[in-house]
Amino acid sequence: MIRLQHVSKGYGGRPALKDINLHVALGEFAFLVGPSGAGKSTMMRLLYREEVPSSGSVFIGGVNLNRLSPRQIPLLRRRLGIVFQDYKLLSKTTAFDNVAYILRALGVDEKDVRKRVSSALNVVNLEEKANAFPEELSGGEQQRVGIARAIVNGPPVLLADEPTGNLDPATSLEIVQLLSRISERGTTVLISTHDHTIVDAMRRRVIALKGGELVSDVDSGVYDTHMDLQSVSQSMSSLV
Amino acid sequence: MRQLRILGRVFVETFLGIKRSGWSNWLVISILAIALTIFGSVLQLTMSLKNLVNLWGSQMVISAFLSDKYEPREVARDVSQYKEVRLVEVITKDVAWEDMKKSLNVASISNPLPNTLHVTVNRADQVEALAPKLKLLPAIEAVRYPMMVVKRINEFRHFIEIAGVVVTGALTAATLTVIGNTIHLVIQSRQKEIEILSLMGVGHFYIKCPFVFQGAFYGFIAATLAMLVLLTMHLYVIQPYLQQELASLAPFFPQNVGYNIAQTFAIMLTLGVAVGAGGGAWTSGRYIKI
Repeated sequence: MIRLQHVSKGYGGRPALKDINLHVALGEFAFLVGPSGAGKSTMMRLLYREEVPSSGSVFIGGVNLNRLSPRQIPLLRRRLGIVFQDYKLLSKTTAFDNVAYILRALGVDEKDVRKRVSSALNVVNLEEKANAFPEELSGGEQQRVGIARAIVNGPPVLLADEPTGNLDPATSLEIVQLLSRISERGTTVLISTHDHTIVDAMRRRVIALKGGELVSDVDSGVYDTHMDLQSVSQSMSSLV
Repeated sequence: MRQLRILGRVFVETFLGIKRSGWSNWLVISILAIALTIFGSVLQLTMSLKNLVNLWGSQMVISAFLSDKYEPREVARDVSQYKEVRLVEVITKDVAWEDMKKSLNVASISNPLPNTLHVTVNRADQVEALAPKLKLLPAIEAVRYPMMVVKRINEFRHFIEIAGVVVTGALTAATLTVIGNTIHLVIQSRQKEIEILSLMGVGHFYIKCPFVFQGAFYGFIAATLAMLVLLTMHLYVIQPYLQQELASLAPFFPQNVGYNIAQTFAIMLTLGVAVGAGGGAWTSGRYIKI
């Protein structure tokens, strides 16, 4: 479903990703881990075509994203669900309307909108709070609204960029378990994180990046915290 | 049906954008309305002057004095072949002499007057083109026409047109700047929403169109206001007062200087909506990067 072939990305001569080769199959659930600056967010931005690689190719569902015209990008993004660390909810809009917004913008019939939004809120167990505004919801609940919005259009791929970054450990685990349940319904889920607790608890595929390079790819893996410590000590020594 | 629903949502977004803009709406509409009022006034004035010159010109006669060696009706037939000519009237030297004798107490001398053709043109601007052609005919010894007045009116009209274009152009540029700033503020206030819509796969049309419609709305309202101002001036100033004054000052002046007010309004409305929508399209294109 997701395929990267010899992908490199640099910013002004500074490499962010170096010759990445990766394949994530349909319905698979995987973590993309690594310390800050490892290239996780860059890879996510390449996957939802916010950026293009300096070299190599990125494929989603067999479509080469390098060849998409600006007019085709929205069509790609409708096939992706994206979950953000900061939730990106509209503050003056209820949970229901936040989820419904995209469907209405795509011209979906109002009756169908109500049905699909209720179903998505049911998946994230938030049906009772459909009329609540974001500020009336906890961080975990807001992220569940974000997940409901990401899945409401039935995308085959769900990308979650640090979805637990603003949440406490217990809520983080709930969110990741929710994403895992969504994956069981056939959706490919890729979660970028540096939260070792949830990675270790789930024991799923772990793709590790460090300094822009793919350093490990393990099927039922754990977060190698040694990698982070090494990175921190390198950063400290460069400061000294 | 789906497209209609999307269009409906775009209108809702447009309405919300206008609501968000608050007092800035009136600033944009006021400046655009002033620009359009000036443009409409200039348009009406130039159209009136053009009609006036044409009306006058079509009533105006070129007098062509013939050599005695030619038969006036034959010359008249030749002259009527020119495309600029609407009517040719033959005044024979005998008729002219009889008329002169009736109005003036002239002595009993032999008739000194030439045969004359009174040539009426289709449009005023054709006078200057036709007169030299007539002069070249061997049968015609001299031509006379009151060209200077027409020339002056045309020069004045030309000046008004240029001044109008300059003033309207400057005000349109100012309007585009204000529209740009207003819509830029709306874009900034909706930045997060636009980012979310873009990442969720909403098309460019849905994201940018509300700003184009918002600009078009400004143009429509401003053109309507400008039209009301011009209509009030037309009904309460130009028609009852100015034309009466004109009639007493210059009775020879054509009184029914007609211009098509509906045409003026149609042009103003088109220009207003085009400027507004253009401003919206330019601003959204510049500040929304999807």
